Amino acid sequence: MAYEALDFYDVDSLLTDEERMIRDAVRDWVDENVIPNIEKACRDGVFPDQWRVDLGEMGVLGAPLEGYGCPGLSYIAYGLICQELERGDSGVRSFASVQGSLAMYPIWDFGSEEQKNYYLPKMHAGEWVGCFGLTEPDYGSNPGDIITRAEDKGDHYLLNGTKMWITNGTIADLAIVWAKLDGVIRGFIVEKEDPGFTAPEMTGKHSLKASVTSELVFQDCRIPKDRILPGVEGLKGPFSCLNNARYGISWGAVGAAQSCFSSAREYALSRIQFDHPIASYQLVQNKLSWMLREITKGQLLAFHLGKKKDDGTWTPEQISLAKMNNVDMALEIARMARDIHGANGILDEYPIMRHMANLESVKTYEGTHDIHNLIIGRHITGIQAFTREP
Amino acid sequence: MGIAVLLKQVPDTTAKITVSGGRVDEAAVSKWSFSPYDEYALESALQIKEAGGGDLIAVTCGPARAAKMLTDAAAVGADALIHILVDDLGALDTTQVQAILAAAVEHIGADVVFCGKQAADTNAGSTGPGVAHLLDASCVTMVSEVAADGDSFTAIRASAGGNERVAVSSPCVFAFDKGTTELRRPNVRGIMMAKKKIIETMTPADLGVDTGSSSVSIDTHSPPPEKPPGQKFEGAESVATVVGKLRDEANVI
Repeated sequence: MAYEALDFYDVDSLLTDEERMIRDAVRDWVDENVIPNIEKACRDGVFPDQWRVDLGEMGVLGAPLEGYGCPGLSYIAYGLICQELERGDSGVRSFASVQGSLAMYPIWDFGSEEQKNYYLPKMHAGEWVGCFGLTEPDYGSNPGDIITRAEDKGDHYLLNGTKMWITNGTIADLAIVWAKLDGVIRGFIVEKEDPGFTAPEMTGKHSLKASVTSELVFQDCRIPKDRILPGVEGLKGPFSCLNNARYGISWGAVGAAQSCFSSAREYALSRIQFDHPIASYQLVQNKLSWMLREITKGQLLAFHLGKKKDDGTWTPEQISLAKMNNVDMALEIARMARDIHGANGILDEYPIMRHMANLESVKTYEGTHDIHNLIIGRHITGIQAFTREP
Repeated sequence: MGIAVLLKQVPDTTAKITVSGGRVDEAAVSKWSFSPYDEYALESALQIKEAGGGDLIAVTCGPARAAKMLTDAAAVGADALIHILVDDLGALDTTQVQAILAAAVEHIGADVVFCGKQAADTNAGSTGPGVAHLLDASCVTMVSEVAADGDSFTAIRASAGGNERVAVSSPCVFAFDKGTTELRRPNVRGIMMAKKKIIETMTPADLGVDTGSSSVSIDTHSPPPEKPPGQKFEGAESVATVVGKLRDEANVI
């Protein structure tokens, strides 16, 4: 059976033909390449390199960026790409989010012309992989106090510090590293061959297993002076990147939820107990109905946000709401879907617990659920409640 | 060189088919796609074009919904798109469809035609040879591979003993079986460029074709007969019977 995504309020009718074709192309690629191979990739804990090649060939990396070989697609199209990739696996969508929104975007917005011309076409083609180094072992929700530092040594910069939880790190050709230069956060492009830089893989994960997660270690790492991103100072830099990635995640979570719903519905219709399919019992219908309700709301939230991204009227708080809501509802849907699948739900014959485990990470990364909650709280009240300090 | 690729839009092979009023209920079909053998023809034609140049013109005869399939063909590289609008393709018999398609190929001025050996819905298998006959062109059927050398071609086709290699010159028609390469995926660049390609829409009358009336009328469509219910055996004493049936009737042991 070909995959059909729940679309109860017919968001499909709001899309342009081009957006639909792009969504369908990614959906077909996921059907043919991710679905048949993801469980093995997850068991083995690897991100198949062929997917990097395929995504590059499809032209979906850095989708909304204009120029430098990039397609300048609408943010709706970017959202649809994320939705379809995450229907396959959050790890696949994470690869694309990091590559496009966190590594290509900062070069595109804050880099020099030379940097844009040198890096962006290769990254769009999937030839060079990027990663984003902001989070540190002791600094996650509080990125303002990061301690990775850069020193100006005249003819080079010297970087010292460690980054942690970095998607793509070990396979990356370059890292966008945020470090303090004279106390001010700046972005630096570190390439994998730069002396003093290593990117060991983090192992033992129960979540995002088909994604590469790494530490970035800088020990007197020397980089040429032309590697600083000239166009931005302070947290504005990393936060601009994160806003784009968070937007994509709000769509991606819908994709994961749609996958879980689709599986739960099929299972409930075919599983017979007490001589009837469990879909005929009220408690099961209640669960499926709740899932449909949340997916529909999440779709419309993401879609409208996409329209605002495209016409420039968006705010970061609006992105926080969509990321928080959609990931939260997707995780609950995954749990509920597992329950509907009964014991079968624990097998990797079904995607359910893989989505469930992945969404635990998605709920925490790119701004934890609680942090986004407080962003909304600050917006409502005008009073920040992140820290004890006033 | 102009290559015409004849494409038919059919219900997707995964779509559920329901029959209503003795006909397939088209409104109930959830997904429409390229007929699968046509995809092999299109991929092979794209490869020929990439190797030797020329224009690839995608042609379809069908209702308004078929236009989307032409856009999909543009997204993988078709240069021009021709849509002969026929509201009820099922009401035409195969000779009428061949007349329309042959007229379209002449209108394009193409020397070479690629198509699938049979459409996944009607499975008549006569379009390729019929169009070739009307165009006075050579026809090679059951093709899995085609290579070009100027105006000549070499085609690999299935034969009684295995495969045979056929040399043929244009004008010619190749009717494809399962080819060596699956149809390529559209990429973002292809999709963005596809929306710029105008579909040239026309009626059979515009091509000077008077289809006349169909010489075939379909009385009814029906789904295949229901599978007979399985046989049920209970109790340990039935084991010998079951094993015997598995060996002698089902041939699985």
